[in-house]
Amino acid sequence: MSNFDKQSLESLEKLCRIKLTSQEEVEFLDSIKEILDYVEQMNEIDTEGVAPCNYVLKEMQMNTTREDKVGKTLPREEFLSNAPEQIGGMIRIPPVMKQ
Amino acid sequence: MYQLSALELREKFLKKKTSAMEITRYFLDRIHKLNPQIKAFISILEERAFAKAKTLDENIEKNKYLGKLAGIPIIIKDNMHIKGEITTCASKFLTNYKALFDSTAIRLLEEEGAILIGKSNMDEFAMGSSTERSGLFPTYNPWNLSCVPGGSSGGSAAAIAARLSPLATGSDTGGSIRQPASMCGVVGFKPTYGRVSRFGLVAFGSSLDQIGCFGTNAKDLGLMMEVMGRHCTKDSTSLNLPGENYLDNLPESLKGTTVGVPWHFLEDLDNEVYDNFKASVDILKELGAKIVDINLDIMKYCIGVYYILATAEASTNLARFDGIRYGIRSASAKTLDEIYDISRDEGFGAEVKKRIMLGTYVLSSGFQDAYYKKAQKIRTLMIRACDEAFEKCDIIAMPVSPSSAFEIGAIQDPLEMYLQDLFTIPASLAGLPCISIPSGFDSKNKPLGFQLIGPQMHDVSVIAKAHAFEKASAHTKKIPPLFDKEHYE
Repeated sequence: MSNFDKQSLESLEKLCRIKLTSQEEVEFLDSIKEILDYVEQMNEIDTEGVAPCNYVLKEMQMNTTREDKVGKTLPREEFLSNAPEQIGGMIRIPPVMKQ
Repeated sequence: MYQLSALELREKFLKKKTSAMEITRYFLDRIHKLNPQIKAFISILEERAFAKAKTLDENIEKNKYLGKLAGIPIIIKDNMHIKGEITTCASKFLTNYKALFDSTAIRLLEEEGAILIGKSNMDEFAMGSSTERSGLFPTYNPWNLSCVPGGSSGGSAAAIAARLSPLATGSDTGGSIRQPASMCGVVGFKPTYGRVSRFGLVAFGSSLDQIGCFGTNAKDLGLMMEVMGRHCTKDSTSLNLPGENYLDNLPESLKGTTVGVPWHFLEDLDNEVYDNFKASVDILKELGAKIVDINLDIMKYCIGVYYILATAEASTNLARFDGIRYGIRSASAKTLDEIYDISRDEGFGAEVKKRIMLGTYVLSSGFQDAYYKKAQKIRTLMIRACDEAFEKCDIIAMPVSPSSAFEIGAIQDPLEMYLQDLFTIPASLAGLPCISIPSGFDSKNKPLGFQLIGPQMHDVSVIAKAHAFEKASAHTKKIPPLFDKEHYE
């Protein structure tokens, strides 16, 4: 059984920057616990000495690099066209420093 | 025109028996008339489609190069960018996001003459197996409107089944192409990991995500793969291999092919699904294939491994949605912290939040070794088990889904929903090319699918063998009765 409890969920809310409603909290607590209990069956497999899989394909077991060349970047106006709020060619956010 | 394959449609266009404009108008009309019953589309790209058709019609008159997909309408899953069009990922968070660049796969399709006709519904950020978890609206199965189409690429699968277009793209992380293809009675192909560039595909689980395709027959998918299966320098996991010919030497027989079946792994199958699967294996035998037993027992752990790795990767990938640079910023947020917290709370649906949290948990210090590292080690063993299986056989046969399409709302428990992916996740974890082909119907007249899985890089062979199966079984010819008619009738 996993030790996942209300406190774990609250700490996850902070880490994930997601605020749950009290109803969601009850539901999430149950279902995350259920999933974590389910995945404990992995412990039935002996993985002593087995390397973790970092690359799915053998062909990828090397670094893929490219030449460090200057390419095209998005024009500022285009990039900003998706910004929720902007000011003077920059993204606007609420003040973060107190006056 | 709706019964035609993509290849037949292209032929008609190239022989000037019909114009690109006529094809486009026909399918757009059909979408407008019939889509309201299944709600497969998030957006319809009317203007773009007509503009492309006009260019094609001008080019054919001038004898210019038209492309391998000339005149063929294609639906794009709404997690792939088309420059200038909205990419929602079926999330409230991105309902206003206009793509600033083309995904490589989409660019290749358009360059080869495809007419992009609309963008299809999906589970939000591709997280789901029924398209019920779309943040916008659910999609309905054309074979039975009270059932789900499967997911996450449920919109693409349902639209192809209703013959609203001959081809569509999908993305498959743990079965998101194959499972809806099976539930909607169409063909769905997931290539080898890295075969199609992921550049411009909104990331979910980056070590698993792969773009693939839907159609009504294997040959059409081969055509689409000839165009999309290209190396791309903008995706560091893109296979650096030349494009391949999928349509040369398509076999009619499977003489000399050894097919592996993991009988022991399949022993808990539901009776109807088992009988259907066995009948499909018999077709392979009749085609001359030799059937051998293989051991994939380790795959019974695949769901746990997958839901740890995929959620871990998703939690990292979805950190970018913060309401600062793009997407919806909550109107009620007053401080920077509130922008993050409330925008994410309002923007994401419950399943997405849950997966981000689960993924963050299995990566957090103290738990990483027990969950994430353990899962990665088992993934190594699973890839090894597949390698060993392919020493005994050329291709593996499995069912696609443990059941046919279920009723909307029938599965509420998340774990039960995850168990739907038992037979599709193995190929995803091992990066293998695989295809779902219609294999008949259950007693409720809902489609079932048959899965063929090849060794890494053997994409061409998987499509070729699926073609032989399809010719012998003839299940791909069937169209849902509600949609097997001209839309103007």
